[in-house]
Amino acid sequence: MTDAIVIGAGVNGLVTAAYLARAGRNVTVLEARTHQERASEIGWIPPRVIRDLDLVRHGLTVTPPDPWISAPLPAGGRLELWQDLSKSVESIRRVSPKDAERWPRFTERMAKLARLLETLYLAPPPDLHSTRVSELLRLAGFGWRARRAGKETIVDLLRILPMSVQELLDDWFEHDTLKAILGAGGVSHICEGPRSGGTAFVLLHHHVGSPRGVFRRAAWKGVGAFEEAARARGVTVKRGAEVRAIVVKDGRAAGVALASGETLPASVVASSADTARTLLGLVEASWLDPEFVRAVQHIKTRGVTARVKLTLAKAPDFERLLVAPTLEYLERAYDDAKYGRVSSRPCIEARAEGSTVHADVQYVPHTLREGAWDDPRRNALGDLVVKLLGDAVPGLAPRVTAREVLTPKDLDARFGFPGGHLYHGELTLDQILFMRPVPACANYVTPVEGLYLCGAATHPGGGILGASGFNAARAMLGGTR
Amino acid sequence: MKYDAIVIGGGHNGLVNAAYLARAGKKVLVLERRERVGGAAVTEEVFPGFKFSVFSYVVSLLRPEIIRDLDLPGHGLHILPLESTITPLPNGDYLGQWGDHDQNRRELYRHSPRDAEAYDDYGREMHFMAKAVQPILGMVPPDPTSLAPSDLLGLLRLSRHFRNLGREQFHALYKLMTMSSADFLDEWFENDALKATKSASGIIGTFLGPRSPGTAYVLLHHYMGEIDGVFRAWGFAKGGTGAVSEAIAAAARRFGAQIRTGASVASVSVKGNRATGVVLEHGEEIEAGVVVSGIDPRQTFINLVGEKHLPDDFTAAIKRYKFRGSSGKVNLALSELPDFTCLPGVGPHLRGAISISPSLDYVERAYDDAKYGAFSRRPYMDVVIPSMIDPGMAPPGKHVMSCFVQYAPFDVQGGWDDRKREAFGDAVVDTLAEFAPNLKRAILHRQVLTPADIERVTGLSEGNIFQGELALHQLFFLRPAASFAKYRTPLRGLYQCGAGTHPGGGIMGASGRLAAVEILKDGA
Repeated sequence: MTDAIVIGAGVNGLVTAAYLARAGRNVTVLEARTHQERASEIGWIPPRVIRDLDLVRHGLTVTPPDPWISAPLPAGGRLELWQDLSKSVESIRRVSPKDAERWPRFTERMAKLARLLETLYLAPPPDLHSTRVSELLRLAGFGWRARRAGKETIVDLLRILPMSVQELLDDWFEHDTLKAILGAGGVSHICEGPRSGGTAFVLLHHHVGSPRGVFRRAAWKGVGAFEEAARARGVTVKRGAEVRAIVVKDGRAAGVALASGETLPASVVASSADTARTLLGLVEASWLDPEFVRAVQHIKTRGVTARVKLTLAKAPDFERLLVAPTLEYLERAYDDAKYGRVSSRPCIEARAEGSTVHADVQYVPHTLREGAWDDPRRNALGDLVVKLLGDAVPGLAPRVTAREVLTPKDLDARFGFPGGHLYHGELTLDQILFMRPVPACANYVTPVEGLYLCGAATHPGGGILGASGFNAARAMLGGTR
Repeated sequence: MKYDAIVIGGGHNGLVNAAYLARAGKKVLVLERRERVGGAAVTEEVFPGFKFSVFSYVVSLLRPEIIRDLDLPGHGLHILPLESTITPLPNGDYLGQWGDHDQNRRELYRHSPRDAEAYDDYGREMHFMAKAVQPILGMVPPDPTSLAPSDLLGLLRLSRHFRNLGREQFHALYKLMTMSSADFLDEWFENDALKATKSASGIIGTFLGPRSPGTAYVLLHHYMGEIDGVFRAWGFAKGGTGAVSEAIAAAARRFGAQIRTGASVASVSVKGNRATGVVLEHGEEIEAGVVVSGIDPRQTFINLVGEKHLPDDFTAAIKRYKFRGSSGKVNLALSELPDFTCLPGVGPHLRGAISISPSLDYVERAYDDAKYGAFSRRPYMDVVIPSMIDPGMAPPGKHVMSCFVQYAPFDVQGGWDDRKREAFGDAVVDTLAEFAPNLKRAILHRQVLTPADIERVTGLSEGNIFQGELALHQLFFLRPAASFAKYRTPLRGLYQCGAGTHPGGGIMGASGRLAAVEILKDGA
């Protein structure tokens, strides 16, 4: 019999499976889709996971972009920021000597905070109400580490996390383009604008795992590496196996029922699908407390990022490009989304891979207040993106030979992102750490014994690949020992 | 002549501070720049026969222990309840929230049976959380960066307090602290006007909209007053909010404090690392064992003390402390009562608040205007008619109306001038007249106060009514700056007691009292 079934062969599902198998469990991964498809190509994979699972040997490559961002300057030319700190300082000095002078200090402080977050991310979320000595020691350990990082870091931690990214940046910098580059990182995949509280945290979240002074994640390649790594440890991966329901017997997960009618028994089940899909979709409602159901229904998953893929006749002259000249531009783009409209001038972050350009376009609501997504609206969005990118990169527009527009609604349908949200839940302060995805599930458990969550919906959430899976596997091994 | 303590600023916190110090036997002098005490809590006869609580207009959270310790009722304080809120709707209807439970339920049921059901649960939950937060309002914030035993003990006490709440309540409180009021209310209610009206209490005095995270926890303030059991959550002071200040001043004098009005402080005297007294505008020097500032952090440290006496990192922290005044006030003298289309004639609704907040989008749009440097063309307003409850505020048959208005950014594009002030006043009156068409002809006089006016008259930086925004990163041990949230300052003998310290704004008096406790602890 299978010890563990993992639902979903995404990165987190496969990492969970691989760690369970590594601990000697007999694991089966069930995936509805028949072929491998990358839902995301950007994100930080913790080095520990890469090492433990031998991902490089299985074909994973991670390429940090250099420059990690470039953004058109109002007077022509581009501001380019590099992996190398001093090179970035030189770039910034050309537009603002004052900002250049502050860059090293700023990046040092942000890196310190990111390192603290990193220690929280590769472990289950802190349990502030625990009475277990081990957990209390862990909390004290974190407190000690924060202390050792210095008084300034403690104050930064308390002060910056709830701040708006705009206030943070206004404290430090004067140049609009520089502020917009960082500001766009603070609102990435979140239905908030740069003036909204908690966006400074989002900037830091996306900084975790990157070198000092780099605020964008690397792209990775080798979609098969995770599956290879799992298989190499004895995991069975079944594709085309759509889970219809999680079988619960006497309040305990006992296996899954497939769409094919087949039932697979298992002693534990881990789901990398989002919380609502797992618990409200796959588990019979009578097993759940109404208060719990209410909490799950209230998880905010307001997808606001569309993906537009452009095929060009010739590779463009950038690796990463941001179209968002000022923080006010970002804020106005958000204003549209507040009222259920596509931004009339959206923030576009484009990544070139040869002659293909992948553009993340924000803000594009999953559900429009007026009308529904249809092809004319999709086309209008595609036209807008080509136009804005063409304005930023002269000569780009005529070279577009093909394009694909995926709205959050399409991403929902295609990849199962709830609300079209890549992270299975926004990274707002009320949905992180012990609040993620809901407090009752914070430690990867669910109200159904033997049923676990292991996807991006759990701590530490999206943008960090495999950390949720890593933490979930550890929680499961602790729980089934 | 040397005093034990000089208190700069005769606002309600300064007066409370002085009263407590005097009560402990200290020789105290309060220096107030204006001719009357009260700061932003003043009553003035702005137009002959018409008295206004010019700035702050409701008493909300005045601490019960202060009322008791200073025997404020004995000094003339009398609070009159403010029992209802109505929200006129664009379709000619209204949403009422009434003090009477059954009436309130019937009214909500008319709009949304679901919300009527949820309302009591919501009230219970908020009540519980208000209770959980209350002790923190009366607590001196520990310094999280310090290893001093008292601070570690304070942190321990704080964490024990939160742990004792139990998981569920702690998580609910955590959500309340971090969410936007719109998101938080979305989890409870469906009626837009109800959500908008409730959310409005979360935006007051901040430069944030109802959809901005960090605005939810102020929703609690409505529930805190009730717990005290002394008086209702929101009310008028008989004689206007100036009467609150007068009562506290009377108590302070009774304990032996001296109060000098028309005494503007030009600087704080510093010798070495110690504040030794103050110098007045006209040159008079007054010495004191300690100097306590009831005015805001920017005025205190940048203007009166001066950067050269302060450590750089502290000055930097004070400079980035945010004020961003966002509210204005329009005071109207009326020949007749406003006649609301949704509730024609004179009725009990005119004894309560009238909230111009028909929908969340409406309030959010008002914020959008302000974000980009304009006052709201159609602003959120909290309107009260004090003369309905306290007839002494206006001549017989006539009325005074107070409109608290958001948003009016201090940093309006191009700066505030007379023309812009009047345009702002017009926007307020035009918006109100849509709901009460007789208003325009009823107006005898109009006083329009922009944040720039508030700053000019009261000295509150950028016209922020709370001496600094009540944003999460400016609360508790970060108010006004890390390591200096315990009413002490980098200078020995210099203390802060204004709303720029924990727990901050509203006519609470808590900052003044806690500062006095700390000063006495230091053996001043």
